Parts: sequence; structure tokens; C-alpha cells
Amino acid sequence: MAHPSQLGFQDAASPVMEELLHFHDHALMIVFLISTLVLYIIVAMVSTKLTNKYILDSQEIEIVWTVLPAVILVLIALPSLRILYLMDEINDPHLTIKAMGHQWYWSYEYTDYEDLGFDSYMTPTKDLTPGQFRLLEADFRMVVPMESPIRVLVSAEDVLHSWAVPSLGVKMDGVPGRLNQTAFIASRPGVFYGQCSEICGANHSFMPIVVEAVPLEHFEFWSSVLLDMATMEEVTLMMDEDMC
Amino acid sequence: MKEESDKRKGMKFLGILDIQNTPCARESILNGAGGSVVAGLVHFLATSRVKRSFDVGVAGFMLSTLGSWLYCRYDNAKLRVQQKVIQDGIKNKVIYEGTTLDPTRKTRGDA
Repeated sequence: MAHPSQLGFQDAASPVMEELLHFHDHALMIVFLISTLVLYIIVAMVSTKLTNKYILDSQEIEIVWTVLPAVILVLIALPSLRILYLMDEINDPHLTIKAMGHQWYWSYEYTDYEDLGFDSYMTPTKDLTPGQFRLLEADFRMVVPMESPIRVLVSAEDVLHSWAVPSLGVKMDGVPGRLNQTAFIASRPGVFYGQCSEICGANHSFMPIVVEAVPLEHFEFWSSVLLDMATMEEVTLMMDEDMC
Repeated sequence: MKEESDKRKGMKFLGILDIQNTPCARESILNGAGGSVVAGLVHFLATSRVKRSFDVGVAGFMLSTLGSWLYCRYDNAKLRVQQKVIQDGIKNKVIYEGTTLDPTRKTRGDA
């Protein structure tokens, strides 16, 4: 997850994010070389004793500074397009989860097999236990099985939201009345944090996303526990209604 | 914690390129420095022009760094693909070994 005064990306937790990190390193090296060249030229121009105000028509330098940027752009574009198409590859998801944005919380629905749904509110700062992260923790996490392709359908119930988890390399806008699809594979078990990435009102900064990747058997256990809890709540509600 | 603090202290060239934590960066910069010295020195020995040799040295630095970087990253990418193939192979072997789906299982004529 993020650490204070961090400038770079978080460690990758999905294959797509690993590729994005590698591409970023590649683009940064090219930027570094260009910056070095420009810095050197600036120093050379400032410190030169030569003053010729009548230089005209130098074909060689014109060719160089036309062809070289084109070559550099090709060196950047090829890996970029590769990753772009890699991110759009058709995968066969093992699980589909709907992430619905509300003001100001997320709700998750796992409806592939049973009807499982829950809301995920930010844990208030005063309720944090030692070791938890301020403004990032939520009461219920979105638990997913690790090393499985997961499809996430993102939408919203009221205003624009955006479901983003940097370490998984996913960000998808939640638009009311529209279903946007994204997918990821969590390469390793862990807890991955994100925050709403589209301005959505007063508490836009206080609706975090927490994804917990666990082995499949743990995921099955967690989902069965949640389903049991939901069943017990329904039974309790029915009993209350009968008593009334 | 020590690993995290080491990672945070990575040296950044021009404030942007983290040499220690970026794969192939350190080798590329070192190769670039070597290429720069060689190119500049050779040009100076041939022409005795100091300023122009310095320019050639800088150009040599950039070309050597870029060339070394592209070569190293290409090798790195091939290695990562091989790693992924091996990882998938090990995972599939663990899952399918001993079953009918095991691709290494020798089929018998009478089966």
C-alpha cells in the first residue's frame, strides 16, 4: 500500500500492474535521457563564447531533430500499445462482482451462485484499532480468491464515482445507469487499498475500497459465513415482524 | 522495515530515475558512463578538440545508455515470460498430476 511522501507507484499485485510498472520504467528512462540532453544543451548554450547571429539553412541538424523524436516516439508507442491491448484481452472470469457506488460508500454484490451483498463503509478514525490505516480501512472488505480472473462490474446509484485500486492496476468509473466492466487477477494474497477517484460530494475522500485476496478455500469459508449471517438477519427480521 | 527504508532511500538521477530499484537502470547508467568516456576519449585523441570531444562524450553516454537499456529490458522481458510459463507449468502439474488431464501421463494402448 501507499507510504507517506510516496512519489512512485505501489508494488504491483496483478500481472497487468507489473507490466504497467515496467512500461513506466521504460518511459522514465527515455524522459531521463531527453532531460539530460536538454540540460546539457542549455549549459552549452549559456557558456559558449561563439556568437553567430546569421546561421541559416542547416539541413543536417533539421533532419536529426525531426527524425530522432519520431524514433523516440516509436520506442515509447510500441510497448504502450502492447499493454493497451493486453489490458483488453478477453479473459474467462471465475467470479463476477458488482461494485456499486453510493454517496458515500461502496456496495458489493456476489450474485454468481447465491445472493450475497453487503455495504462497505469507511471505518471512522475514532474507531480504528492500532495498526489500521486512517481513511483507508472499511468495515467490510471485498474478498476475492487469489490467482483467479475476477470481473468487476462498476456502476453507481446516485452520482459519478470511480472504483480504483492502484496496486491491482484497475480504475473504472461508476456511472449511474451504466455498467462498466473491468477485470483483474490478484497474483498474491494480501489487502489492497484504493479510494474513490471521481468527485462525488462532501465525503468523496471518505469512501475507500479495500480488496482482500485470499486462497480459494478461505474465500469459500468467508462467503458461506456471510451468507449464514444474512440468513440469520432475515430470520430475525421475520420473527420481529411476526411478534409485531 | 529495513527493506522498506532501503527502498525509500533509492538514489534518483535528476530527481526522477530511481537507479537502485529500477531493474536494468544501474547497469545501463554504468555502461553509458563507460561508453561516454570511451567515445569522448577516442574523439579527443583523434582530433584534439576538447569541447567537441565533450559533446561526443555526451552523445556517447546517451546512445550507450539507451542501447544497454533496450538490450537489458528485452532480456528481462524474455526472462519474465519464461518465469510465467514455468510458474503456470508448476501450478498445472500440481493440480493435474495423477489425473486423466495430466499431459505428461503416458497413455496405454489397452486403456
